[in-house]
Amino acid sequence: MRRRVPVLAMMFFAISPAWAQSPPPPDQTEQIRILLERVQQLEKRVTELETKPAAGAGVTVQAANVAAVAKPEMAEAPPPPAPGLGHQHEMAEPQAAPGQMEVHYPSLQIRGFGDVDFSATDQKGSTSGFNLGQLDLHLASALSRKVTYFGEITFNAQPASVYTVDVERSIIRYDYNDFFKLSFGRYHTPIGYWNTAFHHGAWLQTTISRPEMVKFGGTFIPVHFLGFLAEGNIPSGGAGLSYNVGVGNGRGSPISRPGDAGDNNNNRAWVANLYSRPARLYGLQMGVSVYRDKITLPGTPPNGNNFREWISAAHIVWTKETPEFLAEFANVNHRNILTNFVTNSQAFYAQVGYRLPWLERTLKPYYRFEHTHVPLSEQVFTNQDLVQSIVGMRYDITNYAAFKGEYRYFKRLPTDPWVNGAFFQTDFTF
Amino acid sequence: MNATSKRIVTFLWTILWTSLALHSPSTAQTTRGADIAVVVNADTPVTDLSLSEVRKVLLGERQYWSSKLPVVLLIRAPAARERDVVLRVIYQMSEAQFKQYWVAKIFRAEAATPPRIVYSNDMQYELLTALPGSIAFVDSRNMRAGVKILRVDGHLPGEKDYPLR
Repeated sequence: MRRRVPVLAMMFFAISPAWAQSPPPPDQTEQIRILLERVQQLEKRVTELETKPAAGAGVTVQAANVAAVAKPEMAEAPPPPAPGLGHQHEMAEPQAAPGQMEVHYPSLQIRGFGDVDFSATDQKGSTSGFNLGQLDLHLASALSRKVTYFGEITFNAQPASVYTVDVERSIIRYDYNDFFKLSFGRYHTPIGYWNTAFHHGAWLQTTISRPEMVKFGGTFIPVHFLGFLAEGNIPSGGAGLSYNVGVGNGRGSPISRPGDAGDNNNNRAWVANLYSRPARLYGLQMGVSVYRDKITLPGTPPNGNNFREWISAAHIVWTKETPEFLAEFANVNHRNILTNFVTNSQAFYAQVGYRLPWLERTLKPYYRFEHTHVPLSEQVFTNQDLVQSIVGMRYDITNYAAFKGEYRYFKRLPTDPWVNGAFFQTDFTF
Repeated sequence: MNATSKRIVTFLWTILWTSLALHSPSTAQTTRGADIAVVVNADTPVTDLSLSEVRKVLLGERQYWSSKLPVVLLIRAPAARERDVVLRVIYQMSEAQFKQYWVAKIFRAEAATPPRIVYSNDMQYELLTALPGSIAFVDSRNMRAGVKILRVDGHLPGEKDYPLR
């Protein structure tokens, strides 16, 4: 025992300084930078004041100068709506200072998203290698206090060594108040959760790819929608209800696209989405969506080329990261207008992730199971059957870049073999 | 084990636990500071909000006080205690999560701009008095005239059960 006591004492004093030197907060460098900038601004201001006459220079608005210094949290943005004049200080200032409080419209902000991927599977006929993901530019511009434009443009690498440019979203929105906002343009269809939560920014989502049921270029649900949309909150107390209701062209030709250049029939599609964010359960969102359309396929098949489509969907998500849980289900009903033959296809996924408390909370393991079933008698879709499990890890390199690695185990048709795959991605916003 | 050894072991355990307690982040974070007041421009037509309503405003889910008066969010720069309390109690997010939340919010076309960052109390008061619809979070020891302090869940700063501390 006498030998153990000094050893324990030495161990204690050895590790105690290590506790004291806890790792610095992740944003310490940024904080120092901000403080230094502020100090420089103040020093500059003191210098200006010291070099000017002490009296008789008139009255200016201190708030104007302060507002010019105040910047949006993450990016340059338009100043807030034009205020009245703030309280006044007798201080020598250039007469142009109050003009800095003016609001300038339009005020364009641009943010980009990008990713680089690597994949390798044991599927016959597939090749492994790198590929450049989407380069995505998001535009947001206030046109007035209540009118805002949002746009999203992607650059996509194609097999023939060319790039295509797509207008993914182009929306002009008028806000009347929190309960009614009306917009026109091209949207991500508000069916379920994922399609409007993450858009084309891979960095925003936990996983490398979207679930099959909402993948870009897919047909299971109409990912895009061209028309108008009303949205807002519903006065509902703690239930936290919100809605989206829209009318648009619906599916075009091909059915994965919304018919940007015009509808291919005289029927308009409509969509309604109702969701709740209960006040008492911060982080929870649950909702239901319905979508109705008439699909006109190209050509003249013997059973007719017109179909009624009903999509019904539901989602429940817990958006906090300890844990994160996302689950969605959708049923797509197609009825041949000529023969009344009906088919139903279903898809769902459930994803769980957990932000680990170590290493400054940079690691987030996750798992997703997804299932898509399309009956053989389906008349509009080609077969999209899928059973897939994904296990992966997200590592946030910085606040604005991440690295992800995934193992996938999946198969398509019941007669197909199971496929193993390894996928890697680095994604970022800039 | 003789009495001397027992005393030494007891002494070392005491030091060890005291040291652990002093280094524990939870202890450090719960050190009591002044309450953080929710303050708005004097002309804002609101006097009392529940904590969940304050959260809706800060999350950008409520963007208008009335159809003619937009909310203007003011948040202190990193390292300010007001910001720490807002992130911990209202957003329940880390600094990184908070930044990512607003990137996503704008990308989803749910908001046109993020909250405006302010670097000092002076700047915060200047903006509060100048900008209609502005809302900010101020250390209750540094209150000044000319702005309106909101009740949160029916309580003012300094009262028992006031949630922002």
